[in-house]
Amino acid sequence: MMFGISLNVNDPVSETLAKGMSAERLGLDYVWAADLPSQRYAPVVAAVVASATHEIRVGLGLISPFLHTPQQIASSLTTLAESYGSRFDVCIGPGDRDELLRVGVDLDAVRGISQHVLNARREIHKLLKERGLECRIWLGAQGPAILRIAPAFDGVLLNYSSPTMLRWALEVIRAAKDGIPNLLGVFAPSYVYGDFDPNIHRMLQFASATVALGTSDYVLRRFSLLESLQPARKELLCRTFDSSILRLVPPDIIEKFGIFKSHDELSAYVDELKRLGIEHVVFSHPQGHSIETIKELATALRQIGA
Amino acid sequence: MNLSVGLTTSASIEKMKSVADRADSLGLYGVWLGEDIGRPQEIFTATSLILLRTRKAKVGIGVASPLIRNVTTIARAATALSEISPDRFRLGLGIGGIQDLASMGIRIEKPVDLMRKTITTLRAIWENQGQSIDDEELRLSSYRPRFNGSGDIPIFIGARGPKLLALAAVIADGVILSGPRRYVQESIKMIKEKRVSSKLNKSNFSFVLWVPTAVLRDSSDLGLVKQTVAVVAVDTPDTVLRQADVSRDEVELVRSAISRYGLKEAAKSVSDNLVGQFCMSGDAESICETFRGYSSLGVDEVVFGPPYGIDSQHAISEVAKAWRRA
Repeated sequence: MMFGISLNVNDPVSETLAKGMSAERLGLDYVWAADLPSQRYAPVVAAVVASATHEIRVGLGLISPFLHTPQQIASSLTTLAESYGSRFDVCIGPGDRDELLRVGVDLDAVRGISQHVLNARREIHKLLKERGLECRIWLGAQGPAILRIAPAFDGVLLNYSSPTMLRWALEVIRAAKDGIPNLLGVFAPSYVYGDFDPNIHRMLQFASATVALGTSDYVLRRFSLLESLQPARKELLCRTFDSSILRLVPPDIIEKFGIFKSHDELSAYVDELKRLGIEHVVFSHPQGHSIETIKELATALRQIGA
Repeated sequence: MNLSVGLTTSASIEKMKSVADRADSLGLYGVWLGEDIGRPQEIFTATSLILLRTRKAKVGIGVASPLIRNVTTIARAATALSEISPDRFRLGLGIGGIQDLASMGIRIEKPVDLMRKTITTLRAIWENQGQSIDDEELRLSSYRPRFNGSGDIPIFIGARGPKLLALAAVIADGVILSGPRRYVQESIKMIKEKRVSSKLNKSNFSFVLWVPTAVLRDSSDLGLVKQTVAVVAVDTPDTVLRQADVSRDEVELVRSAISRYGLKEAAKSVSDNLVGQFCMSGDAESICETFRGYSSLGVDEVVFGPPYGIDSQHAISEVAKAWRRA
């Protein structure tokens, strides 16, 4: 199994750097820097982390080919790999619908989102190959249309944590009859803890609920979650996401999108992922909230022999 | 007046590392990185490399185009870059090379309006304290940056036309000029007058001059110079050619030769007059002397830009040493 952490790109660069260095020192396999329109530019953050680390793989993403051209994404990877060596991965996918809309990218107006992402993957791969660079290209996926193009990628990172939903996603990928990608992974809001901190748990609830609320109707309906999320979704149309909206999201839904485990519970969950064939786990915000939360994760991973 | 060195994203990472690693020890004031659109290196990521490998030199982007990216991407990248080393990062914006944009099918419409809007919005994002930002033209709707930006990132405009220069005079912290000496002289005069008429402080504005420069060993090195001149000349707007009294026919001849025979062959059609107008060449001492001559025009910082010379590392080193000697 390979384990990584997604760094919080809301942090000042110096803090992200310190966390990236800690992640390497603590033996994690990856750090990922997500690129959201409201946060610091991920390729620069990735460069800062790479400049002070030596072996840890650095993931760029999720980064949206609807916000950056494939040429720009490939160029970022080129500069990173040529500057700091061949230890970069990239994860592309449509991106956060609401965040993109705020900067003028309306995914609802795009015909053939999956094809666009697939074309971006081909273009990035072609450019990197021409430049003699090795870089794994992952797909960030949730809904069935995107899942069906997963076989064209080196790996897929699934954006939910529930084994039932993960099993379904893998069935959708297999049904496409193009095989499955070599690398299967989970990328989910996480809080793996030794000493429980209610503040971090609160952050996990927000992060998981954000993913749940942004999930496609198809997926929510498939798991009978749509109806119970409607009150929160309606409120979100009128105001920004706050505690009062969070209270409208049923806790059992939050659990399906986030990894919330004590040190003792993590082992069973990882075993379940292994049985599904999932070999990569990226623990995203709030696990990277502080060096302490990263240490808590590392301790748990050591306990399970990772 | 200060001496800086200029690179572009066409340079290899090895060259960027090498220049960055020696910038401080050579006593260079700054390193500017220009965006050659469509080349393998990415401007913001490459700038971070230079910032991370220098300690004293100012590091600037000179320039990146808002025409090919979302304004929020520029804001986010500039914030991260300024955090790498506060007070050393400078952001240059420009429309971009005419030929490069045309090859991407991008039409330049209302460049002055776009630049004004971009700079205003960038500052609004950087100074944001949690309010939402809306702008119909830039298609921002309830945009809320989740980073505490730095409102004091200096913005330079790389401009050649009179309208953009006039905008730079009133909205930017400085301007990056390039072109024949007479044009530079006229541009600085115009910007200074504009600042006076706009009741703006004369001293709070920097004039940066990017000069394609080549240290020549002998006349056989001229081929390299002429290739650079060919590229620069055909990308120069007619307004600049007129202002500098450069024959448009002469430039058209080069443009036509590039499209028919390619750059290397076209370089042969570059006249000595064009070389003199668009590139500085000679030995290190004479180059520095000419650089200093720009001080009297009001230039604050001169940028020793490519092609440098046959041995670029040696050429940069020679010019930096000659600059310090005088």
